[in-house]
Amino acid sequence: MIKKLALIILLNFLLPFSVLAQDFNFNRALSDYLYNFDLYRQAYQEYVSAKESFLQYKTLTSKTNAFQKTLKMTQARDETTRTYLIALKMKLGETEGISSAEKNVFNLKLDNEVNWYFTHKEELSSAGSLEDLVELANKAEERYQQQTEILIYQTLHKILVGKENNLAEKINTQIAVLKEKLKEIKERGDKNVSLAERWLLETENRLLRFEEKILASQEKMERMEKGSWEDKGQIYKESQLNLQEAHQYLKEANRYLKEIIREVKTADGKY
Amino acid sequence: MGNIDQDFENILPAEEKPKKKTPSRKIVFLGGLLLLFFLILILIAIFLNLRQRRSFFGTLPTPTPTPTPILVEEITNPSFYATDSGILKIEEELKKIEGELDSTDLKQASLSPPLLDWEVKF
Repeated sequence: MIKKLALIILLNFLLPFSVLAQDFNFNRALSDYLYNFDLYRQAYQEYVSAKESFLQYKTLTSKTNAFQKTLKMTQARDETTRTYLIALKMKLGETEGISSAEKNVFNLKLDNEVNWYFTHKEELSSAGSLEDLVELANKAEERYQQQTEILIYQTLHKILVGKENNLAEKINTQIAVLKEKLKEIKERGDKNVSLAERWLLETENRLLRFEEKILASQEKMERMEKGSWEDKGQIYKESQLNLQEAHQYLKEANRYLKEIIREVKTADGKY
Repeated sequence: MGNIDQDFENILPAEEKPKKKTPSRKIVFLGGLLLLFFLILILIAIFLNLRQRRSFFGTLPTPTPTPTPILVEEITNPSFYATDSGILKIEEELKKIEGELDSTDLKQASLSPPLLDWEVKF
């Protein structure tokens, strides 16, 4: 009886947490990040003003104030990065077209980064002086430039590729269904399907071009890890352009399929 | 060589040219005022004329946007497969994919990395 009561109490206690965990999705994660980014912006303004005042007056009071504001800003910066990475992880999880194996690899990397910024934020509180704080804060800069930024762009790219692959898969499914249908019509012999078959070849050709563009985009992204001197944002933009071109091929493929349907629906004498 | 004898005392004084009469300041001021008055009158007349014209013709025509009809070519001679459930299903799926293709956000602006100042210096 006591055991049952304890279980009921425990369940009542844990239930709200499980509901909260279920509700945590990309939109929630994005609002968390945007809220923290706003806090960072406020803290940054305070830091800039405290820094200016310290550099001008060099008094102990202004140094203490600069220390406090720098601590607040750097902690807000870590929290913004941490919540942004969580939002990215949630988006990746909700995106179709990415295999679970790939998702797991990215999740591990993202979790690792999330933990680093969480620990770093705690470490910042232990700084005893402004000089110590600056030194600790600069560790985040190094981490961001060498690892986090690359991972951010790779994840963004993976999300986009996932979206595109998902759409391509849907088109491929329809091609397969349509091929079967055309075969069936051909066997019956009550409709000429040669034009439709030619269009189908063209459609498949568009999908090949799509794959080429996806590959080109991925190759560009590989440059990011190899050449640290290159602007990562620029590399991402270039690979994004390839994805836009790939997207156009998908649109064309879909349009061709619609044309085939139209052709099949029209009696032979029309053309 | 001739003698130069001149009786300077008996020379008649040259006649003074009559001075040009310049209009007095008052006249100039009044003239200017009159000119200004006429100018204002002309402007009022132009303004009234324009208003009358507008009221006569009504308000000036403004181009109104007209919806352009979406061209959907109808199949005038449908085949046996125009009502085939399999074909119609594929058509429906393709429409769905088209909608997804149009709504795909390839820029992901809301997910752009935050602009943070990483350099802390004193």
